[in-house]
Amino acid sequence: MLTYLARRLFVMVPTLIMISVLVFVIIQLPPGDFLTTYLNELQAQGEAVDPAKIEFLKQQYGLDQPIYVQYAEWAWGLLHGDLGFSFEYNLPVREVVGDRLWLSLVLNFSTVLFIYIVSFPIGIYSATRQYSWGDYGFTFVGFLGLAMPNFLFALILLYYANVVFGTSIGGLMDPEYINQGWSFGKVMSVVEHLWAPVLVIGTSGTASMIRRLRANLLDELSKQYVVTAHAKGLSPKKVLFKYPLRMALNPFIADIGNILPQVVSGSVLVSVVMSLPTTGPMLLTALQSQDMYLAGSFLMFLALLTVVGMFVSDVLLAWLDPRIRLQGGVGQ
Amino acid sequence: MTDILRIKNLKVEFVLPHMRVKAVENVSFRIGAQETVALVGESGSGKSTISQAIMGLLPKSAQITNGSIIFADPKKPGTRVDISMLDRAGKEMRAIRGGRISMIFQEPMSSLSPLHTIGDQICEAVRLHRKVRGREARELAVEMLTLVGFPQPKRALKTYPFELSGGLRQRAMIAMALVCRPALLVADEPTTALDVTIQAQILRLIREVQSELQMSLLLITHDLGVVANMADRMVVVYDGRVVEAGQTQEVFINPGHAYTRSLLAAVPHFNMGPDERLRPLREIKPKTGSLLAEVGNAEAQRENTEVPASLALHPTMASEPVLAVRHISKSFSTRKGNWFKSEEQRIPAVSDVSLTVNRGECVGLVGESGCGKTTLSKLIMRAMNPDDGSILFRGESGQMTELVGLDEDQLNPYRKRIQFVFQDPFGSLNPRMTVQDIVAEPMLIHGVGDGEYRRKMVLELMDLVGLDPRFLNRYPHSFSGGQRQRIGIARALGLKPDLLIFDEPTSALDVSVQAQILNLLKDLQRNLNLTYLFISHNLAVVDYVADRIAVMCAGRIVESAPREQLFRNPVHPYTQALLHAVPFADLDHLLDFDKIVDGKASDPTRWPAPFTINQNSAPKMMQFAEDHFVRAERADFTEVAI
Repeated sequence: MLTYLARRLFVMVPTLIMISVLVFVIIQLPPGDFLTTYLNELQAQGEAVDPAKIEFLKQQYGLDQPIYVQYAEWAWGLLHGDLGFSFEYNLPVREVVGDRLWLSLVLNFSTVLFIYIVSFPIGIYSATRQYSWGDYGFTFVGFLGLAMPNFLFALILLYYANVVFGTSIGGLMDPEYINQGWSFGKVMSVVEHLWAPVLVIGTSGTASMIRRLRANLLDELSKQYVVTAHAKGLSPKKVLFKYPLRMALNPFIADIGNILPQVVSGSVLVSVVMSLPTTGPMLLTALQSQDMYLAGSFLMFLALLTVVGMFVSDVLLAWLDPRIRLQGGVGQ
Repeated sequence: MTDILRIKNLKVEFVLPHMRVKAVENVSFRIGAQETVALVGESGSGKSTISQAIMGLLPKSAQITNGSIIFADPKKPGTRVDISMLDRAGKEMRAIRGGRISMIFQEPMSSLSPLHTIGDQICEAVRLHRKVRGREARELAVEMLTLVGFPQPKRALKTYPFELSGGLRQRAMIAMALVCRPALLVADEPTTALDVTIQAQILRLIREVQSELQMSLLLITHDLGVVANMADRMVVVYDGRVVEAGQTQEVFINPGHAYTRSLLAAVPHFNMGPDERLRPLREIKPKTGSLLAEVGNAEAQRENTEVPASLALHPTMASEPVLAVRHISKSFSTRKGNWFKSEEQRIPAVSDVSLTVNRGECVGLVGESGCGKTTLSKLIMRAMNPDDGSILFRGESGQMTELVGLDEDQLNPYRKRIQFVFQDPFGSLNPRMTVQDIVAEPMLIHGVGDGEYRRKMVLELMDLVGLDPRFLNRYPHSFSGGQRQRIGIARALGLKPDLLIFDEPTSALDVSVQAQILNLLKDLQRNLNLTYLFISHNLAVVDYVADRIAVMCAGRIVESAPREQLFRNPVHPYTQALLHAVPFADLDHLLDFDKIVDGKASDPTRWPAPFTINQNSAPKMMQFAEDHFVRAERADFTEVAI
């Protein structure tokens, strides 16, 4: 078990290195860099640009160095917690990002929690009462959630909240707390605002999770070992919770790693629509203006989230399933 | 004698949204105290539905619409409970189920939860029905595990089912069912999924615990061999009705109902005469047409010109080898270890196997699961590359050609000459192709004939295996298992192969269908002068079809001899163990349970002296008598240079 954990942790290191290289290369792929974009913008506005100043800026930002040197400096900085410098904001990335990272984390974590809490009982209900009215009803609502684009749902929600209740549910906190220090009031305000984006981002994830749990559980319910458990004289509820549900949990947990990046990337559009102070909108503009250190930091953050999520799900799986723990794979 | 269970006029119906289907009707029988009753029937006969009704485990859609199941618990004398009236999930039923009536199932692999330890699952059963604490429950579990023959019962509590072999899993299952000391044990095909030697051990175990715990046994099986050896009385079910019931002896000696008679006649047994045939419920008469008869005639003519007519009766001696496998070996590697250093472990699947198949003969290959017989067939098909050894095959040119080392293109002409019939009739036919396409596909792949020829050939093949040509546009799902297997045989015959390999072709089929297929194979072989390599774990089946039999164990052939000789005079301890373990459907040849030893008969290191295989000794095949070879190290056997 310990070697398993150590191995998993060890594998994370080369994975993250590979991702950082990829991130860097992909950001650099479009022709030009931040300065050329900046220049084009200035020229389009009819301003003259002094070539000497450009040279100076290039040197200052290190953009005249070969790409691997730039990468090495960036990676070295990352290791020390230095996220680099944002060209666009003329500030260190750390300051630009500010609370956004934490707010994103809170938002995404709440969304995942929401997905699990809602889909779990509904999935069990749907599987144990297959083809009942309730099952059909949840299936219908689930497919609706799956089919509707997130941003559309967000717009509809915003519209009705405004028209019917006369409130604005955009943002993650009341306007008076924006750019203020953290206080109890601010935390409560965030909590109050959180439900709308969580609901919007979580619907499709919840819908697909319900379907998955239902299918898994249905498969397990017809297995022989469930009949054996019934034959022992266990009550139906105990049978359900001890045996098939335990088995059906496997894909549930294995999904942690998948669901995180899904939720994160799904939240970008919604964040733009609902003007949430999360990383999504900022990542978008950073990519557009080739503000490479800012974009790179965001992408690395996402990668770290995914890799950690995978690790957590691996550990949980090994803990739950003796076949993985003792055999290194699910047999049969 | 008081009856423990009395079933009267039981009728079970499946209620579907648009119809009702009768599964069981008017079934009555009784089980006395400490008596063993066998419920015999083929798949779909309703025997499992009866057992589910007794256990209160019927699926939701099934309803008991008539009759009663009266259970008289010997522990509470005088009380009678009608199980059919109880709520299936109710408290009363749950107290009986698992407590007073227990059940063991066919599949030891899937009937235990893979996520819970054996100890957890057994203790759960104890604590449900007895008021005991955790430690007492564990003690009871250990006691029961000892009784069912676990070598280290204390440690077994902490193991997971996937860490145990099939035989041990079934023992754990039995321990779990018996730990509450039930009055009645329902055993649903308890040994069908096990190897013969393990089956014999489990049967003996069930008998022992039955007398130890003084319980009754309801044995549900399709295997008349098991019935003959285990049951006091037997109840034969057919199509949801009881067609015959009585003392096992009486039913075997003097079967009253036509179905029972045909069932008994369909089981292959060992003392069958050379010309004695099995009698299936429905016989298939293969009709040869013009295209396939040509093969047969041409072959027959060649035979006639090459060998004297007197010898032609003994194809083994007379004809040339079609396939000669020489000292072939194959091992698989598994990687163990961590990220930095990995130790490669080579597990030999087939080692030093030599085998010859002559034209017109049927060679049987017998062995238990995991002995390497399927790997060997894959090597012959060249679906895998052997590590060592040679495979000689007589192709169209009439010359023996070495197949090892040929590349895919060079192999192509030989692929056509060797065809394969698979075990699983359900998985081996593409569900999205019509029968016409399935049977014609090999010809299409190898570009044999034109469209006209192929159509004609497919029609003829259908006739040959006794299927109506009108079925040609249907899809496989509309056929029964036996019919599908016949489609598989037709597909294999389309290319007029020189060698047909059958891998357990009847093990997924019912006895009467098995008899039908076996007879068909025998007829085809005779009519078309075909050459078979027949792989099976069932000794009686191999004995029925094969001319020569090779016994395989742990990747090696340990004994090979003509059929009569092998069964009359087995030399190798493994062959003997196998023969001792087969339950015959014959009251004169009952199993000698004293001779069945626990442990693995298939462990080569434990075989006695001249046969032992370990690091120090690697015996080779020796000639014991004419055409009779044994793997042993003995001076009085002469080594043969094959």
